[in-house]
Amino acid sequence: MDAISSLPMLRRIKQYSAYAMVLGICVGISASTASTNNATSDQTLSPWQKIEAQGKNQDVYFYAWGGDPQINAYLQWAAEQVDDKYNINLVHVKLSDTSEAVSRVLAEKAANNNDQGSVDLVWINGANFATMSENSLLLKQWANKLPNFSLTDPDNNPTVNYDFGVPTNGMEAPWGQASLTFYYDSLSVNTPPTTLNELTTWAAQNPGRFSYPKPPDFLGMSFLKYALVILHEQHDADTGENTKAQLNLPATEQNTALVLDPLWAFLDDFHPTLWRDGEQFVQTGAQMRRLVDDTELSLAFTFSAPEVPAAVQRFDLPKSIRSYAMSDGSLSNTHFVAIPYNTSHPQAAQLVANFLMSPEAQAHKQTSAVWGDKTVLVQSTLSSEQQALFDSKQTHPSALPFDSITRIVSEPHPSWVDGIMQGWQMRYGVSP
Amino acid sequence: MSQGFDKIAKTQARAHLIVLEQTDWFTRIVTLSPKLLVLILILPVLGGLIGVVLPAFGWVPALDKTTLNLQGFIELWQTPGLTRMAALSVATGLISTLLAFVLALMILAAFFNSVWLQRIEHLLSPILVIPHAAAAIAVGFLIAPSGMFARLISPWLSGWALAPNGILPHDPYGISIILGLTLKELPFLLLMALGALAQPELGKKLRQQYKVALNLGYHPITAFFKAVLPLLYPFLRLPILAVLAYASASVEMPLILGPNTPPTLAVSIMNWFNDVDLTLRIKASAGALLQLALTAGLVAFWLGGEKAIKACGSASLINGKRRYADAAWQKITGVLTVFVIGFMLLSLVGLALWSIAGYWRFPAMLPEQFVWLHFDSAFAQMGTPLFNTLTIGLVSTAFAIVLALLCLEAEQLRARYLSNLTSLIIYLPLLVPSIAFLFGLVWIQQWLNYQSAFFNVAFAHVLFVLPYVFLSLASSYRRLDPRFAHVAASLGAAPIKVFFQIKLPQLFAPILIAIALGLAISFGQYLPTLLAGGGRIATITTEAVTLANGASRRTSAVYAIIQMALPLIGFILAWILPKYFFRSGAR
Repeated sequence: MDAISSLPMLRRIKQYSAYAMVLGICVGISASTASTNNATSDQTLSPWQKIEAQGKNQDVYFYAWGGDPQINAYLQWAAEQVDDKYNINLVHVKLSDTSEAVSRVLAEKAANNNDQGSVDLVWINGANFATMSENSLLLKQWANKLPNFSLTDPDNNPTVNYDFGVPTNGMEAPWGQASLTFYYDSLSVNTPPTTLNELTTWAAQNPGRFSYPKPPDFLGMSFLKYALVILHEQHDADTGENTKAQLNLPATEQNTALVLDPLWAFLDDFHPTLWRDGEQFVQTGAQMRRLVDDTELSLAFTFSAPEVPAAVQRFDLPKSIRSYAMSDGSLSNTHFVAIPYNTSHPQAAQLVANFLMSPEAQAHKQTSAVWGDKTVLVQSTLSSEQQALFDSKQTHPSALPFDSITRIVSEPHPSWVDGIMQGWQMRYGVSP
Repeated sequence: MSQGFDKIAKTQARAHLIVLEQTDWFTRIVTLSPKLLVLILILPVLGGLIGVVLPAFGWVPALDKTTLNLQGFIELWQTPGLTRMAALSVATGLISTLLAFVLALMILAAFFNSVWLQRIEHLLSPILVIPHAAAAIAVGFLIAPSGMFARLISPWLSGWALAPNGILPHDPYGISIILGLTLKELPFLLLMALGALAQPELGKKLRQQYKVALNLGYHPITAFFKAVLPLLYPFLRLPILAVLAYASASVEMPLILGPNTPPTLAVSIMNWFNDVDLTLRIKASAGALLQLALTAGLVAFWLGGEKAIKACGSASLINGKRRYADAAWQKITGVLTVFVIGFMLLSLVGLALWSIAGYWRFPAMLPEQFVWLHFDSAFAQMGTPLFNTLTIGLVSTAFAIVLALLCLEAEQLRARYLSNLTSLIIYLPLLVPSIAFLFGLVWIQQWLNYQSAFFNVAFAHVLFVLPYVFLSLASSYRRLDPRFAHVAASLGAAPIKVFFQIKLPQLFAPILIAIALGLAISFGQYLPTLLAGGGRIATITTEAVTLANGASRRTSAVYAIIQMALPLIGFILAWILPKYFFRSGAR
């Protein structure tokens, strides 16, 4: 029945979309020269409806990290959805590092390409966002106008308006939340370390069985930030000072040594107990995962907890893997999608961003078998039907048990990233 | 223009070619094609270099920097570990080239007159078409602490229940890189040498000299080094220099097998170019110039070494000594050859096992179960990359083949070979480190034509496909018996008819081989695809490299296998088709 009735419907949609496309082109051409001549129907449309009308039937090049097959498959699903909904051709451009997209937009700006950019949408947060925002490489004040943005309860939820403490100003739409999760091989580790202190003791007892990705890798930086915050908490608890507060302020010449010296002191002792005596580091989190599978490492961590059971199901990790969260805190942050200032398809990109924030897409994403990335939507803003979409059970033995994250550690100000990166490079970038 | 035609007219007359219409459009295109070839190869490389030189001296309008200064070089100089990076690049490049060259010579010398030379060639030539990334993945698995070698001796001999702490791959000395590069370049040099020996006059002459030497009592290996090598070497010089330039500036192998504290210079340059901190691009450009200088230095060093060896060695060529422990060398070479081939086979076996492995815990020799899951999921996502790989390969190869054929035809119309300068220019994209000019080229491409990523990638591929296609076609084309063309022309056939109906059918098999080679080269390109396409054009190779550094070894193995299968299919077709078509031409 559905199939039969949908045929003429489809034809009508196609007709409509063809009309919309022609209209879109006309609007595009006439907008600069004769804005008063716009089609009369425009006046009756809301701004969002106009975006919908203009964004349909276009290509959207989504530059997103492509190192995880699960995420890639999710994006393929999303592409099918926006194709059905808007006839948008969503192309996932798989990056090995998000900074490649930043370089790309910059190169286009260099070539004076200000309205035909190749990047339409980019998956981003933290330092990459800070860089793009500083260099005015992003489209402003659109994300906060997306219909689904209200579902994140933005007035009471700073995590969707600040990216590592930097205000987003509507330049990026929240997409998901991640926390640092650890996993270990239960055949070679009986009781895994659950605090930073225990980790150093464990590493000393099991030399060569732990490592972290070399900065500037995102995951490696996250581990260093986790260590930095915990070290300052310990220091403050011991001395009664408040050095931790500096982490939420921008890095300056005065406070850099004060804040970072404890980290270097910690790493000086920690590194000799690591994989390859801390003289060589893994390149990425995925390489770390592979070394766990090879049994070279016994303990590792990830920012995407569901990747662990998924990897076990794909045979990429042994069945003996177990996940857990550190009891002294899990570093957490929100990741976003942003639109470069010179995108060729700004409206279509917004349609995609809005779809990615929809309860349907967010619920699918949170399903552990799909991706398991935590939603940015706030349950109280959703209807009961929408809330029901998010009900899912976790049963895989390698998955992070529900409610294991007991304490959240928030990201330091992004300006610290540079300081950590350069200091690290200076001290450990060249092995002795 | 008319001067050019005069010249052609004269040379044509000299070659006793009867050309009815000297200025028909075909002849005109043919005459212009060498110029086009030179332009297509020289402009992007030079333009790309300019696009790197300007930012190196601080001129980056995008960052509002329009004054020339040396800041980039100062920053480069202050980079921690710069000397180590440069030393690693130079050492791995030089040692791997030297090893590959010496091994190739030893194999040639030891098996020069034996059926084994053909067999070794057959065994090694598939390695030639394996992209560097796939080879690196395979080698990495073999030598890792949890790799095949360790599994073979664990736990019964070593007592290892967990993978031991080792230093390979990613060792700070670059041993893994040298291993990977040597194994990859050895087949290339060997095939280049065999290609030279396949030239009728040269091959005949060398074989005769070799025989005379043997009859005079020279032992086989000594005979090769004294009677064959001095004449053979000039044909190997450019391929060796190309290998040297590639090895000192390549990205894939050091990325997958090399250390990262610090990495090689080329990898660092790529990281700086891709860094979030946009001002690092100035330093990266300065680094690209340093890379260029290092590679140029290596080439100069090699050429100098050549002269030195010639000066020192020429006396021993005629000292009459008939042998230098030949029997021992013969044995050593045999052992080394077996080792090299065994190493390659074991890596390939490992690759095949990983691609279908279920759980496979160290130190098990075999996986617990075999699954097709990795192939299934790879195929589910492979549509677009596969399509891109094939179309870009076909477009760039087709263009390269047409241009190469026209240039070779121009050679015959003028009755003389391309000038030395032109021959050198054909090698230009292989001699100039791609990391040094590709970034500049991308900048220019964006400036000229920033929308067609497909075209940009295909064009960048042409730069690397063209040299190989040209070299592969040149020997067969120059070997064509000119009498067929003369007879056809004297019967009144126009040049175009001679070209299409006489020459091309005779060249059917070599053209197919050149197409297969062109496709293989195009399939394997990583950096040009990544940069010129801005990452928008995914091919099997870009996916494989992305996956090699991420995701699972199992998926990487699947991609590596497909990377190998594609060119192999091409070569198999190139081998089979001539048996059924234009058989009369296949003489």
